[in-house]
Amino acid sequence: MNDLSSATQQAIILLFSADPELWEIILLSFSVSLRAILISAPLAIIIAFCLSYFKFPGRHFLISLFNTAMAIPAVVVGLTLYLLLSRSGPLGDFKLLFTQDAMIMGQIVLCFPLLVALSYATLHSMDKRAWETAITLGAHPVRAFFTVLKEARFGLTAAIIAAFGRIIAEVGSSMMVGGNILHYTRNIPTAIALETSKGSFSQGIALGIVLLLMALVLNLVLSLIQARNEHHHE
Amino acid sequence: MSNIQLENINLQRNKQTVLQNIQVSLNSDDFILMTGQNGSGKSTFLRIIAGLLKPDGFKLIQNDTQQSWATAKKFLRQYFCYLHQTPYLFSGTVQDNIAYGLKYQGLSKTEIEHKVDEALELIKLQHLAQRHSFALSGGEKQRVAIARSWVIHPDFILLDEPFANMDKHSRHNTYAIINQLKEENIGIILTSHDPHHGELNFNKQLHLYQGQLSEKFYQ
Repeated sequence: MNDLSSATQQAIILLFSADPELWEIILLSFSVSLRAILISAPLAIIIAFCLSYFKFPGRHFLISLFNTAMAIPAVVVGLTLYLLLSRSGPLGDFKLLFTQDAMIMGQIVLCFPLLVALSYATLHSMDKRAWETAITLGAHPVRAFFTVLKEARFGLTAAIIAAFGRIIAEVGSSMMVGGNILHYTRNIPTAIALETSKGSFSQGIALGIVLLLMALVLNLVLSLIQARNEHHHE
Repeated sequence: MSNIQLENINLQRNKQTVLQNIQVSLNSDDFILMTGQNGSGKSTFLRIIAGLLKPDGFKLIQNDTQQSWATAKKFLRQYFCYLHQTPYLFSGTVQDNIAYGLKYQGLSKTEIEHKVDEALELIKLQHLAQRHSFALSGGEKQRVAIARSWVIHPDFILLDEPFANMDKHSRHNTYAIINQLKEENIGIILTSHDPHHGELNFNKQLHLYQGQLSEKFYQ
């Protein structure tokens, strides 16, 4: 108990001491996860839109596929990517293993189905009259698409925040394909795993606090979005 | 004056015939009352001719050639503007809503503002220009939706049960607006299960019954 409280005390001191190594890990985590989200979100939203607004063969299969893929364990994604990117793997020539790009790829695989499924849920439940109204008022289908996204902005933002929350805290994939290299691929979850295995709890707890605070902030933002959404539909 | 001829419109839903070999000829000076029981397919018919719903079969004759649905829907969307029974207003102010279609007509900001002002005057809601669309009453929403369609000047405005859930006062205001549209030579098709709209001088009635359309001309 004393160990825990002293480690927590040290962790808080560490957080406020502007420890460069600690903040480098935090920034790297955010940078990798934000890039993964920025790459995934546009395509995921387009797919979700097509699944919601167009009927085509295999549509239900695709919806089930994305719903199932949401539950893929991060470590399985890591293992698969590792096999693909390792020197003897089919993508070995690109020399991506143990790089930030590999971590981003892993996080894209993890967040993409979640983004599609949550965006689909938002767009599918949206009033279809928005699309028809935009079209009948002379908007080109591409413009009408952006109008629908604007109308669904609260739900879509919530989907993006939820996906970001998932990937910034995942350890399995980042550890396997990133390699946890200091100053290069060490992010918050891999650093926590490493520090804990070394018995150096203070840095692990400090990083854990950052993750918890981030989860709290994301949830507060989500609640605010939800409240605004409800207010809009009253 | 535009004339549009549609033939052989067919639609089935859940193995039930909704529309069967419908033929219709529409002129942009038409003022049509479309009647039929609830569920008779009036809204479906309007959504088809507005290019929003693909029928199982149809024939649009344009320049002596038959058009595919992909071409026909673009053509129909240029001519017809469809208003839902409960209109959808985008999130934003009344002004933003009326300006929506104008943004796609290559007009300057000043021209858009001018046209929005004209539209607000038409529906007598100048005082609500900055009000958020979600804060409007049902009747006000309907009037804003009509103004939003009027401002882009389509050849036809398709009004789907515009008087449903409207009180007497709102109904009276909406009659005046519709008559104003008519004076500006915009073709109108208005659906209603109630054939009595004394303040509107229709020139034609279309009646939909069991998937078939019958026509009646007024004097």
